[in-house]
Amino acid sequence: MNAITFDVEIKGARKQFGSNVVLNDIDLEVKQGELLTLLGPSGCGKSTTLNLIAGFLEADQGDVYIKGKKVTKVPPYKRDLGMVFQTYSLFPHMTVLENLSFGLKLRKVAKTEQKKKIDRVLELVKMSGLEHRYPRELSGGQRQRVAIARALVVEPELLLLDEPLSNLDAKLRHELRAEIKRLQKEIGVTTIFVTHDQEEALSMSDRVVVMNAGEIEQISTPTVIYNHPETEFVFQFIGKSNSFEGEVIETDGRKISLKLGEEIIHVNPANIIGENRSLRAADEVKLYIRPENIHISSTRETSSPTMELQPAKIIQLNYLGTSWEVDVSLQGKTIQLLTNSYDSAWQYGSEVYVGWNPSEIMLIKK
Amino acid sequence: MEPLRNYADQEVSEQVKVTGEPQRKTKVRKRRSWIAGLLLLIPILLFVFGFFIVPMLYILYLSFISTDNLNGADAVYSLQNYITLFTDSYYLSSMWLTVKISLYSVLVSLILGYPIALTMAKSSPKIRGYITLLIASPLLVSIVVRNFGWYLLLLPNGTINQFLMNIGLIKKPLNLLFSELGVVIGLSNAYLPFMVLAIATSLYNIDPSLEKAGAILGASPMRSFLTITLPLSLPGIVSGCVLVFSLSMSAYVTPSLMGGANVPMMPVVIYDQINTLLKWTFGSALSYVLLGITLLSVFFFTRAFEKSKFREVFR
Repeated sequence: MNAITFDVEIKGARKQFGSNVVLNDIDLEVKQGELLTLLGPSGCGKSTTLNLIAGFLEADQGDVYIKGKKVTKVPPYKRDLGMVFQTYSLFPHMTVLENLSFGLKLRKVAKTEQKKKIDRVLELVKMSGLEHRYPRELSGGQRQRVAIARALVVEPELLLLDEPLSNLDAKLRHELRAEIKRLQKEIGVTTIFVTHDQEEALSMSDRVVVMNAGEIEQISTPTVIYNHPETEFVFQFIGKSNSFEGEVIETDGRKISLKLGEEIIHVNPANIIGENRSLRAADEVKLYIRPENIHISSTRETSSPTMELQPAKIIQLNYLGTSWEVDVSLQGKTIQLLTNSYDSAWQYGSEVYVGWNPSEIMLIKK
Repeated sequence: MEPLRNYADQEVSEQVKVTGEPQRKTKVRKRRSWIAGLLLLIPILLFVFGFFIVPMLYILYLSFISTDNLNGADAVYSLQNYITLFTDSYYLSSMWLTVKISLYSVLVSLILGYPIALTMAKSSPKIRGYITLLIASPLLVSIVVRNFGWYLLLLPNGTINQFLMNIGLIKKPLNLLFSELGVVIGLSNAYLPFMVLAIATSLYNIDPSLEKAGAILGASPMRSFLTITLPLSLPGIVSGCVLVFSLSMSAYVTPSLMGGANVPMMPVVIYDQINTLLKWTFGSALSYVLLGITLLSVFFFTRAFEKSKFREVFR
């Protein structure tokens, strides 16, 4: 027996449609009670993975275990799961109540018990009082709440969410995002969430699985995924970044000295992304820096000893509500930065000073 | 709790906000497009009026004449034709026979057609195309030719009887031709495509994720079919049944070729009255009774479903 109990284990799963490999020998473990997100662009294999767990697809190779039981060949209706679909998938010919009692009836739950469970779950999703409505009579957000309630009312072993928010408008999406997170923690049901929206993944998950081309790129907490991406793909996929070309001058184990334009900078080897971490002199590298890590100021003075500001010119100012997105021209190159400290004197063409801490720079060997 | 949002209402209120001048303009524009639409419809409206409504009204007029003199001063107007029709047991049994055989044909084509439609709905578009072609192909052959095909198969010494006698299942030939069974076989064969295509269309409209949702909640494929797919395909079943029923009620070629004098369905009786006995007025009354029975049956059948517990499906 393992010390940690995994609610879901996928071992060496491989799936191919014709000659197209959609899952290439993936291993995945989902801890009890966690909200795990499968994140990636379309076609990365995240939905296939979810369908393997749900039982709608069978892997060509490898096995799926749910709560320690091998379910590779168990059909979906015998897996005791809850699932929420992108298109809500409420039964249109049944009222909210009938939709919710569907799974309970199949589990032969007594009538009085059914009512109790349904009332409780409707209260959880804030839909009490709408039991006798048909799905047609509900708004998109309400439909998705009912769909979540329908998945939860049977008290499933696992909750699977297949892009449940992507058909909703931005405001509702935000609202339900928080709601799902709250519900999940309240009930403690192990949840697997599939999305292509990185913001959704980062804000909701305990752990994020970033997938690409049928393989898992990185499994980690949202902060680690964002701040310490392990592969170039993860770095490119999550968040925005500015890139520069550089050349290694020398390495001494504790720091790497690089030539960036006319400048020499020193970077910590921990900031190297990707498989190839050994750098030697004269290696060409790509340097990346996130927009929010670039500082901007009207004056050259800075409180940080490691940061040196350089003159730049504003070429674009976008107000985002909580922050400003600023494009500046630095030595003829356009870089984008994100700032909260906005000087109202700034306008197109203003002279400003920008800079960054070398510790914020990520490196990838070319 | 989240306030109830009624999106339909919102749309209406947005329209109301448009005030004054622009509203009048849209009204004028709407009226213009309406007139343009009417102009385009005029040819077909004239055609339908001249070649369908006028003859129908003329037949209705004829049905109230109880003398052989069709017009002029000698014509006697009365309900006599209708009274004879509803008191003579021959015509009453013909009405019942017509309804009975049509119901059987509906039942047979439903039982045979549903699995085909389901197969089509589950197939890839390519396979679906092939099945559609196969299902619709009998429609490419004249109904007379098709009936003679059945004729050869069902004759007392035809292929089917010969086969059954050869394998020793029966001693003397079954009465397949010139019987109700023969007519039901012919009609359900002829109208099967309508049933299949009507059901398939409603099956295509069912979101495939609904069955997945059913499965995840614990419903076996059979259970999912009975509680989700079947109820949601009711609109297709109803329209398929209505189509096959109305077509069977008014079928002439199949009952006369495959039933003959043994199966006097109403269209055959009407034909005899008009073409053989030259009783135009009585034939007209029979036609209107047939039309009435068909319309009423269809109305109550459809109504029954739309008022049933599955009424939500029909919205």
